[in-house]
Amino acid sequence: MWEWWRKNKPLLLGGVLLLVALLWYSVNLRQQDETNFLENVVLRVTGPIQSGLDEMINGTADTWGHYLYLIDTAEDNRQLIDENRTLRAVLTESDEVRLENERLRRLLEFKETQEIATLPALVIAEDASSWFRTVTIDKGSDQGVTEGLPVVVAEGVVGRVVRSSPRYSRVLLITDASSAVASLLQDNRARGVCRGQGEQLVFDFVLRLEDVKIGDRVVTSGMGGIFPKGLVIGQIKSVVRQEFGLFQEIKVDPAVDFSHLEEVLVLLRSPQ
Amino acid sequence: MSRTLIYLAMAGVAVVLQTVVFPVLLQGYYKPDLLLILVVYLGLHEESRRGGLLVYLLGWAYDGVAGGYPGLNGFVLFGVFLAVRGIVSRVNTESSPLLLLLVLAGTALQFVMMAFALDFFSQTTQIWSQMTWQLPVQLMLNFIAALILLRLVLWLQRTFMPRKTLPGLRKLDSRYES
Repeated sequence: MWEWWRKNKPLLLGGVLLLVALLWYSVNLRQQDETNFLENVVLRVTGPIQSGLDEMINGTADTWGHYLYLIDTAEDNRQLIDENRTLRAVLTESDEVRLENERLRRLLEFKETQEIATLPALVIAEDASSWFRTVTIDKGSDQGVTEGLPVVVAEGVVGRVVRSSPRYSRVLLITDASSAVASLLQDNRARGVCRGQGEQLVFDFVLRLEDVKIGDRVVTSGMGGIFPKGLVIGQIKSVVRQEFGLFQEIKVDPAVDFSHLEEVLVLLRSPQ
Repeated sequence: MSRTLIYLAMAGVAVVLQTVVFPVLLQGYYKPDLLLILVVYLGLHEESRRGGLLVYLLGWAYDGVAGGYPGLNGFVLFGVFLAVRGIVSRVNTESSPLLLLLVLAGTALQFVMMAFALDFFSQTTQIWSQMTWQLPVQLMLNFIAALILLRLVLWLQRTFMPRKTLPGLRKLDSRYES
């Protein structure tokens, strides 16, 4: 017995420790909606670095893109290149400002239509892993951002705050597999739940008898207690109605382009 | 202690690269998991007690920037570390292709453990099909990242510290392979 124990001790010990880690994870799922100490520390430490680096990378990417574009015109002549470079630099700069202005104006117009107090925030980082869909924003509990608050842009729903430190927060996007939003079809008011599937959404629990058409708009129903009613989620992409079963299989294209998120609005008061 | 600090610094750099730099360079959701590569390396070259504790702590810290499940990455990375430790005595670790192979195996194990933990314990739906669809891209990215890192680290060591060896690096250097 002793010999057997000695021979298999590393394997057994490893197995027990792994089981403990799994149990600890499952126990912690109960506190999933709260930011724990270590997550708070990580957000505090990585936030400023991510913010600074994000700013630097965006600046460098603009300059580099601009420079690459100009290499093609080098064959013409030096004078034209210089002139072109200068003009394009000015143009790129003003284009960037114009685009930013447009985005901010849309956000501002949207903000003015909201009865709930809103807080603008910048997206400074993405999720470290490919398996999840979260982003980090540059506002935290010091500005009133707490777990559970909805995050939106002018085009529609972005997600909700899941972790919050004094100056930075993490937002779970609606496209994440663990995200579910109570929704309805804008036209016929059919209810369901939009669940994340990585790059698109599925609209679950819509009864077979409901008339759902491709292109129909899906909005929040306000039933989940997180998002206010009537925010755009996306458009119906495909509908499969089986011969049997209670529900339809519906896929939804999100209204928001999550790969180009820059500025967002945090709705400071949850509807309920 | 200094080695632990080096590992922590490397993990910090990995996190910053994955959250800020790769999303700009790769223009999408996919990015190589440098922390997983570090865990495989730790599994090959650190002793079980110290390495295991470090990996579990790194996993917990990783939860602060990846996903929304406290303890998930701790469980998964610890599992990958134990799996690598489990085969270290049975294979010839003095080979650089082994690290690449183990990174691929580690990615597959990470996928299985994560999908299992999410499917059985959390409220996610259809997680296996979603993650299976992403797995080939993740395998490829991790493999390429490990290959580049291996060459980069060896080049840095030869250039700047030709007389010194970094922990475990000698084993991975193709000059010492028979």
